[in-house]
Amino acid sequence: MDQRPLAGVRVLDFTWAWAGPFCTLQLAHLGAEVIRVETTTRALCVSRSIPPFADNIPGPNRAGYFNQYNQGKRSILLNLRRREALEIAYELVKHCDVVAENFAAGVSEKLGLGYEKLRQYRADLIMISMSGFGQSGPYRKFLGYGPPAAAMSGLFSATGYPGGEPSEIGISYPDPNAGIFGAYAILAALVHRDFTGEGQYIDQSQWEATLPVVAEGLLEYAVNGREPVRDGNHDRLMAPHNCYKAAGDEDKWVSIAVGSDAEWRALAGAMGRPELATDPRFASAEARKRNEAALDEIITAWTRERDRWETAETLQRAGVAAFPSLSNKDLATDPHLAERGYLVSLEHPEVGRRIHAGIPWTMSETPCRVERPAPLLGADTDHVLKSLLGFSAERIAQLRRDGILS
Amino acid sequence: MTASEKQDKPGSPFGAIRVVECGAGVSAAFAARMLADLGAEVVKVEPPEGDWTRRRGPFPKNEPDPEKSALYAYLNINKRGVVADLTRAEGRELLGRLLERADILLHNVAPAERAGQGLESGALCAAYPRLIVTSISMYGDSGPRANWRGYELNASNAGGWAYLSPGASPYPELPPLKAFGHQCDFQAGVHAAMVALAGYRARAKSGRGQAIDVSEQECIAAMLEMNFMHYTYAGRETSRLGQRALGPWFIADCADGKVFVVCVEEDQWQRLVEMMGNPEWARDELFKDRVSRAQNLDALKALMSEWLAGWKVEELFRKGQGEYRIPFAPVNTMRQIYESEHLAARGFFTVFEQPGIGPLRLPGPPSRYGRTRWELRRAAPRLGEHGEEVFVGELGIARERFASLRKAGIV
Repeated sequence: MDQRPLAGVRVLDFTWAWAGPFCTLQLAHLGAEVIRVETTTRALCVSRSIPPFADNIPGPNRAGYFNQYNQGKRSILLNLRRREALEIAYELVKHCDVVAENFAAGVSEKLGLGYEKLRQYRADLIMISMSGFGQSGPYRKFLGYGPPAAAMSGLFSATGYPGGEPSEIGISYPDPNAGIFGAYAILAALVHRDFTGEGQYIDQSQWEATLPVVAEGLLEYAVNGREPVRDGNHDRLMAPHNCYKAAGDEDKWVSIAVGSDAEWRALAGAMGRPELATDPRFASAEARKRNEAALDEIITAWTRERDRWETAETLQRAGVAAFPSLSNKDLATDPHLAERGYLVSLEHPEVGRRIHAGIPWTMSETPCRVERPAPLLGADTDHVLKSLLGFSAERIAQLRRDGILS
Repeated sequence: MTASEKQDKPGSPFGAIRVVECGAGVSAAFAARMLADLGAEVVKVEPPEGDWTRRRGPFPKNEPDPEKSALYAYLNINKRGVVADLTRAEGRELLGRLLERADILLHNVAPAERAGQGLESGALCAAYPRLIVTSISMYGDSGPRANWRGYELNASNAGGWAYLSPGASPYPELPPLKAFGHQCDFQAGVHAAMVALAGYRARAKSGRGQAIDVSEQECIAAMLEMNFMHYTYAGRETSRLGQRALGPWFIADCADGKVFVVCVEEDQWQRLVEMMGNPEWARDELFKDRVSRAQNLDALKALMSEWLAGWKVEELFRKGQGEYRIPFAPVNTMRQIYESEHLAARGFFTVFEQPGIGPLRLPGPPSRYGRTRWELRRAAPRLGEHGEEVFVGELGIARERFASLRKAGIV
């Protein structure tokens, strides 16, 4: 028997951008059967249609973006503009515990997929809507994407090099953030259902989901009326605390953070500069903060002469928190991540074996695993209609001829 | 779970879940708070000197006071707090008493330090077979770097995020840039809360607890958008340098502040051109599609800057989004977030009274539940506030013994 925590939980997944698929990816990792509803009658979901493609050859099944965030899921084709397709979706809902969508607010109702409608088919349904701004309020119909949500959440205004302008943060962070909070909410709703037997509707706003993790900035304003200061990699209390240039002309860096005087003494010793530990400019955290520019220069002079891994290993042996700044290539070829079983490369019918980021947790008694690679577009349509709804091969063929399964 | 067990657990369904939290800082505390917000009964175990977030602030009037740190308060609302020095046998014994009746343990004590604090996963699972032992660590509990140290800054670099940030930077001499705050710690916390609940559900079927190992580095490495696959699919090593994948995509100056300008889809760009009054230059070959607009972003920025500078941020945002469906976004300050009419209409912020700090406007639920109750009902505990209540009142430790443990600095 499948012991995984969500074995037996079935999810009908209408999500399309990134936050939604990242949410349902967690459920698939935990053992849920996630059925993605796709169509070829409109533009393909963005993650199937933008680079990187395997070996730079475009194709809906070759997109890394899709194949990463849809590992372990199934894909069916339904042209939901057709009444018969909608009826099939309703029949599927009867067999599903969870429905997830991330259309703009109001769109699921317009499509006939609103919660009030769907719960007629499954009284204890759990449904989550993941929109940019939530289902109510003056901005509810505005377009929401991750990077704009980062701007609106104060992350741009609070991030930046010292003395510099507000800055972007490199990734579309509010998307996976909303996804992981959404997955937590679904777990909570499943526990709630276990206790009470009742399902529920969850309204998630990407903007609102980002604000709880920006709370330190909000609190700074709430308590002292101050905006957070953009200070690069520096910390308000800890010093040294930065990314330092490593040896060579290449773009290699190593992060070093010192959280106590003991760690500072260890760093000074490891650099072969024990006298720095008693230098009054650096003797306490407050002193090191005051003289941080000089401190950064001294450390850079040392890191510049060394390979980033050599620096990290030397400092870690001395008990100092140091780690190279890893690139995508570094991650995909990392022996530690490989040994932990984090890197997943299952055989995919079109792209072969490619390394994907896997599951960031382990469970000792109910081990999680990536069950299968991301599905080919519509690959599971027949299987799902046969196994869940008992459709015959003839009926499926007829529906396909009629353009319902496209 | 049987029907009779269900009936035995009144009130919020989550009230039946007992959580013990150890460690320090953001990740485990936020995970436990997420459960507490839904009604779980959380006991936070602090060392005698208190959690380091008590020393971090922000503090009212910038006056450090371990009972007035707003970050500590934020992370520990809805919990009860006790002190137990886990580096001493008596402290570990008290932890054991707490764990006997707990469903979930959440902690972020590093693997190298667990033995000394009685927090080794294997030993805990053996001693408490129904306990869901959920540990968060920087690099996971196994592998050659399990015992390496790390803080938020290191997690951001180890996870591959910092190397990509800020993105499209023209300054190779400037280092990879950490995002504001404790984002990696928060992410590890949300993952841990989610998997802990998964473990709780699994126990309802199997009757057994287990050890859960959450790696902060791996949480971040799973969130890098399409960057991971740029390498494994197309052999490209990506970094904070170079250009955007699509355009326009930049932070711009308006008359009274900054706006983030982005068009993801072609139709959004077409409507932006219309909103700008169909300028001649917009038909130039340089800007023919989103990839070309990214390649020629500097030229595009220069051409758009005068038009953008003529707008107030809020007006551009509302008209652009409301009438033209262009995903403009104000580059908000914290004040502007607090003043948002939209968030006010949704009742997002909650005024919460924290003794010593006063009324704080705090973020509301990250997800709004139709049925499950999310609420802020109890102020964050003072250091050791509930020691006597929990240890003497509930666990039956003799009052005299508790007094002597207190004298010895253990509680």
